[in-house]
Amino acid sequence: MVAAPYIGRVSLATIPAIDSRQARPVAAKLCAVTELMELIERCKAGDGMAFREVFRNHRADVARLVVRMTSRPSDLEDTVQEVFLQVYRSIKDFRGQSRFSTWLYRVTVNVVLMQRRAARSRPVLQEATDESFGSDSRDLPDDQVARSRRVAAFYRLLDRLSDKKRAVFVLHELEGMSPSEVAKVVNAPVLTVRTRLFYARRELLEMLREEPALAFVARELLSETSAEPLTESEPT
Amino acid sequence: MSTERRPDQAALDRVIFEAREQPTPELDWDRIEARLLREPGPEAGSNAARFVARLRVPAIALVAAAAVALVFTKQHPPAATHKAVARLASGPLKGDQLALGTRITAGAQNLVVDHPGRARWTLEPHSTAFVSSSGVFLTVRLESGALSATVVPSTKPETFAVESGGTRVAVHGTAFRVERTSDRVLVQVSEGTVAVEPAQTHSNPAFLLRRDSRGTFALDGRNGTVEGNASVVVGAANPQSHREIAARTSAQPAAAHKAQAPAQVASVAPAPAEPDPANAAIADAEPLPLQPSISDIESGVSSAVDLLTGCFRNKTSSPGNRVSASTGMALSVSGEGSVQSVTFSPPLEPAVEDCAVIGLRQLMFAKSAEGVTFTRMLELTR
Repeated sequence: MVAAPYIGRVSLATIPAIDSRQARPVAAKLCAVTELMELIERCKAGDGMAFREVFRNHRADVARLVVRMTSRPSDLEDTVQEVFLQVYRSIKDFRGQSRFSTWLYRVTVNVVLMQRRAARSRPVLQEATDESFGSDSRDLPDDQVARSRRVAAFYRLLDRLSDKKRAVFVLHELEGMSPSEVAKVVNAPVLTVRTRLFYARRELLEMLREEPALAFVARELLSETSAEPLTESEPT
Repeated sequence: MSTERRPDQAALDRVIFEAREQPTPELDWDRIEARLLREPGPEAGSNAARFVARLRVPAIALVAAAAVALVFTKQHPPAATHKAVARLASGPLKGDQLALGTRITAGAQNLVVDHPGRARWTLEPHSTAFVSSSGVFLTVRLESGALSATVVPSTKPETFAVESGGTRVAVHGTAFRVERTSDRVLVQVSEGTVAVEPAQTHSNPAFLLRRDSRGTFALDGRNGTVEGNASVVVGAANPQSHREIAARTSAQPAAAHKAQAPAQVASVAPAPAEPDPANAAIADAEPLPLQPSISDIESGVSSAVDLLTGCFRNKTSSPGNRVSASTGMALSVSGEGSVQSVTFSPPLEPAVEDCAVIGLRQLMFAKSAEGVTFTRMLELTR
């Protein structure tokens, strides 16, 4: 008999008696998980249609993470395609010991890092990410243009972090993953992840202050934030 | 109880939030899917090997595409997504066909970008730059690393410029190199003349670097140090005082006032070293260095700064008040080691300058074949 696989927070083997008030959402989740596991099993068997379903269900998540990891929209299509090629090749190695999304993120991070390493040894053209270029920004409201410029500047800063720090920072701060989840994705101890997060944030703060090209961004943000409350109230 | 956040931390949190809220760019999913699953169909799943073979086709095509190194250019940004990455093999890149803002990163070797008839610039390994404005006036923004440029002389001034940080290096038909470090911009000129100035304001102080001169500048372009044939440029709103400091034999302090500032540019070119028959034999035996060593220069500069600080403290006429001044001091040192001229831009109070001239006349640098000219930005307070 094959042990029930662990699928995220819901294990097929440990589902308790279902409360009638929770029956519908738990059942729906269980159904979704079961469907996903079936899809994965069919993928392992080489079912192209199943793989297409996996691709369609997860492509947006992969694309979003790739954008955040690379800050190079021009690389996006190639990288997303490479991720799913890698998924197809490796899916037989997915044993269900972690959530599928965690495994998929690990594949994505590895592909991105491999591509970045390869890119360092060859010249690359990258399209403008700064909203100050091109005519599109002129048609946007001022605040939207300003926001795009800030985000573009932020990604330029992220790009200057080391690969390891950038990966954990993106997964935690932008993807909203907990340090323990990040640790599974990057295959490192939780303490190491927390350390990388600390130093990544500190480096970003230093860059924000010291990079003259971004001085206007920092000033703009500081002037805005100075008008807002800068304290986080805690219960007394 | 409250935990106060520093404003820059709040700023970082704000921009993280904004980045999180950015929508994912919409891709041509159909195209990707088609490349992944060529002619997908229910029967595809029945033959895994055939499916994998199909998957390999686009991958091989991608590798082949990289090998032939096609250069994609983007004249107009499309509304949705676009594929603008190109792997470059060799040969100059056509700079005039690059879309504005196309970021270029050199690989392990130099990458040449050519603007025919106007300029050719070479991005050094692992450096990144992009063309930020084109047309008659071409501007390249250096983000990291270094680039060298050769610019075809033009009747129009400053048709080519390199910006890095807040520093703008504008060119008057020349060959030069710009390097961006973490906190400085280094400029070396091998032909012609370049002007270095703050990128945003084009304000003074600006520096003129001529052939065989070099300088290091703060990222904001507002101050720096130059060596060789260089000078501080002064606009109408920022006059200067140029004083010839005669040899020790000449002499009255008042005579120094006769040499007043030229209208626009202070020439602080080093005087050719005077041949000295008495030293000729020594020179034959032990040739002088072309210029004094860095440590010799810094030692002399330190003395000059101390001297000027003392003069400023003693000679400024505003008793009881706190007075501060900012000026660029360009010193021209002869091969003999004596100070030939000094330029203050903007000028200081005459009494302060007189005091400095008298002191500088006593100052001796190490001997060298050509002498040296350099500039220091000074903040004086009393």
